[in-house]
Amino acid sequence: MSGKMQLNRRRFLAAAGAAFGAPYFIPSSVFAAPGRPGANERITVALIGAGGRGNGLMKELDRSDVGHEAQTVAICDVDENRLANSLKSYEPGVKPYRDYRYILERKDIDAVVIATPDHWHAVMTVHAAECGKHIYVEKPACCTIEEGKKMIEAVNKAKVACQVGSQGRSQPEAYMMHRYLVNGNIGKVSKVWAWHYVSPSDNSPVPDSDPPPELDWDAWLGPLRWRPYNRRYLPGSFRWMMESGGGQIRDRGAHVMSCAMWWMGADGTGPVTVEAKNVVFPTQGVWDACVEMEVTYEFKNPDWTLIWAQKGEKTHPDAPPAEERAPNENQISRPGYGAIYFGDKGQCHHWGGDGGTWAEKKVREWQPGPGAKDVRKSPGHFEDWFEGIKTGAKTIMNIEAAVGVANLTILGNLSAILGRKLQWDQEKYTIVGDAEAQRLMSRPQRYPWVF
Amino acid sequence: MLAKKLEPVSAAAAAVTALAAESKAAEDAVGQLLAKIKDKSDKVRYEGISGAGPVGAAAVKPLVQTMADGEMEVARAARRALWNIVRYAGRPKARKESAAVVKELLAALAADAPVNVKRELMWMISELAGDEAVEPIAALIQHKDLREDARMVLQRLPGKKSLAALRTALETAPEEFRPNIAVSLRARGQKVAGYPSANLEPTLQTKVQVLDAAALAQAEKEAKETKQSKRKGKKQ
Repeated sequence: MSGKMQLNRRRFLAAAGAAFGAPYFIPSSVFAAPGRPGANERITVALIGAGGRGNGLMKELDRSDVGHEAQTVAICDVDENRLANSLKSYEPGVKPYRDYRYILERKDIDAVVIATPDHWHAVMTVHAAECGKHIYVEKPACCTIEEGKKMIEAVNKAKVACQVGSQGRSQPEAYMMHRYLVNGNIGKVSKVWAWHYVSPSDNSPVPDSDPPPELDWDAWLGPLRWRPYNRRYLPGSFRWMMESGGGQIRDRGAHVMSCAMWWMGADGTGPVTVEAKNVVFPTQGVWDACVEMEVTYEFKNPDWTLIWAQKGEKTHPDAPPAEERAPNENQISRPGYGAIYFGDKGQCHHWGGDGGTWAEKKVREWQPGPGAKDVRKSPGHFEDWFEGIKTGAKTIMNIEAAVGVANLTILGNLSAILGRKLQWDQEKYTIVGDAEAQRLMSRPQRYPWVF
Repeated sequence: MLAKKLEPVSAAAAAVTALAAESKAAEDAVGQLLAKIKDKSDKVRYEGISGAGPVGAAAVKPLVQTMADGEMEVARAARRALWNIVRYAGRPKARKESAAVVKELLAALAADAPVNVKRELMWMISELAGDEAVEPIAALIQHKDLREDARMVLQRLPGKKSLAALRTALETAPEEFRPNIAVSLRARGQKVAGYPSANLEPTLQTKVQVLDAAALAQAEKEAKETKQSKRKGKKQ
């Protein structure tokens, strides 16, 4: 595409936005094929982070109702072997990259799917927004409070659609739970008790070493401060590193607590106190995320308590056992996590909270009567994202909501590593009365992987 | 009368005795901590790590030395114990303890230690310190392996002195490092002329090639064959 063409597209988008008062999406392919407008109106997508999760997401996108509207044109990874192997799963002509910024430079790419380790989410999201790309970014949105603020600013400034991968909000039984709760079936909810099994410990620690030749270790670290390579850091085990993954509370907490914030109508709010107790860390190795923890979040006006309880061996000792379901029903495949909602007229619970969300039987069987309140029903997580791209509608797991949930996980981990209760001021968006904790709300980034 | 005259001497003696007892207790606590950190059992080491916080400044120097221990897990345990001391000292209303820990960390940073240990110390300092850390950290801007960490730590250290140190570094650091400094100054809300950030300029090249239809078909064929041979292997 010529520079003139790019300018024309930008000008057109600005004019269209001004004329219609809302974002108005024109696929870049329309402009990429002069003389053939409309011949190819698919949304061009690039994947950043071509590991198991990234490739899995692209398959999900392909299978979704909007799969036919998407065209994957580029993939990126800092591991050459993974990049080469992933490429085989896509159409001919998909361009491989090591540096995601080449993708951001391409004017023919409309959207990016970011499925990297967590420590990359914020920088890539901000950069992608600055380059006008629509964004699907894996959860949790951010690793620090400051990162989340920057993501919100960048996405809103660029007026791009951003969907964060807490896809529990888009599940059919999540809709049922939400509707059941807002219609007062268990009365006023005062406590949500989320349970999860423990984060793993490393029983076979290894020394630091040189990185394998196929891996660009420096690029893998990106904004993180430099340290020697250790093969326990990756690929999936980044999850057990506090700086890059943060353990189960950030992985599944970003799902189960996302449901809680959504159903409690608490998006945009925050707790007043956060306290981690009964914290157990790994006894050896480089993994440092909490093995066990119990975090209590107190919310005010309205008053309610959210508890993240991560303990027990395989699953939580107090978790409800998996419900037996009829063979023709949606079976519970992940009963090891979920949440119980306590109201003044009863309680209800669900298992999972991510791509698998299963509500208990009474919730599924409840039929809304006349005058019952309805709630937003997502057409599917990718479908909802594409709706946002095409119409400018706010996505169901928009960046503000996702950062709010990520903040819960960040504060929970901060309380755990500092060993003390934290006070949070949502309006001022800061930790109160703890200078060290305040410093840890942000993390200077390594150049050039900076905002 | 005689008793009264002797009183100050007794009080001073009592104070000396109390100090000696305190010092002995601190010494014992450090000794016990180090013994746990150097234990062969990960469970015992973990006890040491978990209880390190209140041992405080007195344990900093020996723990820093143990961070370079040849036994991998002992070195890691020392590092984690030291982090717990930092986090404990950083609690609200513990300014004296925090200052004592920072003093020891800065002394350790000035002494001989492996680069990776120094790097860790700098980040510990970044959580607690104020102006007293600016000069020693700023000096490390001249250290090729530590300058990026030094720049990030200066960015985090609050106050005008760290800001001034960044400003000075913008003029004195090697030319190729000045864009890094400019990033920190901008992050601190300062206007910087020149040295634009190259954060959106792609540089890293892959050797992986685009697959055309023929290459993709060949890859699919090979994958199929590999799968089949694996299946055969399993059957045999």
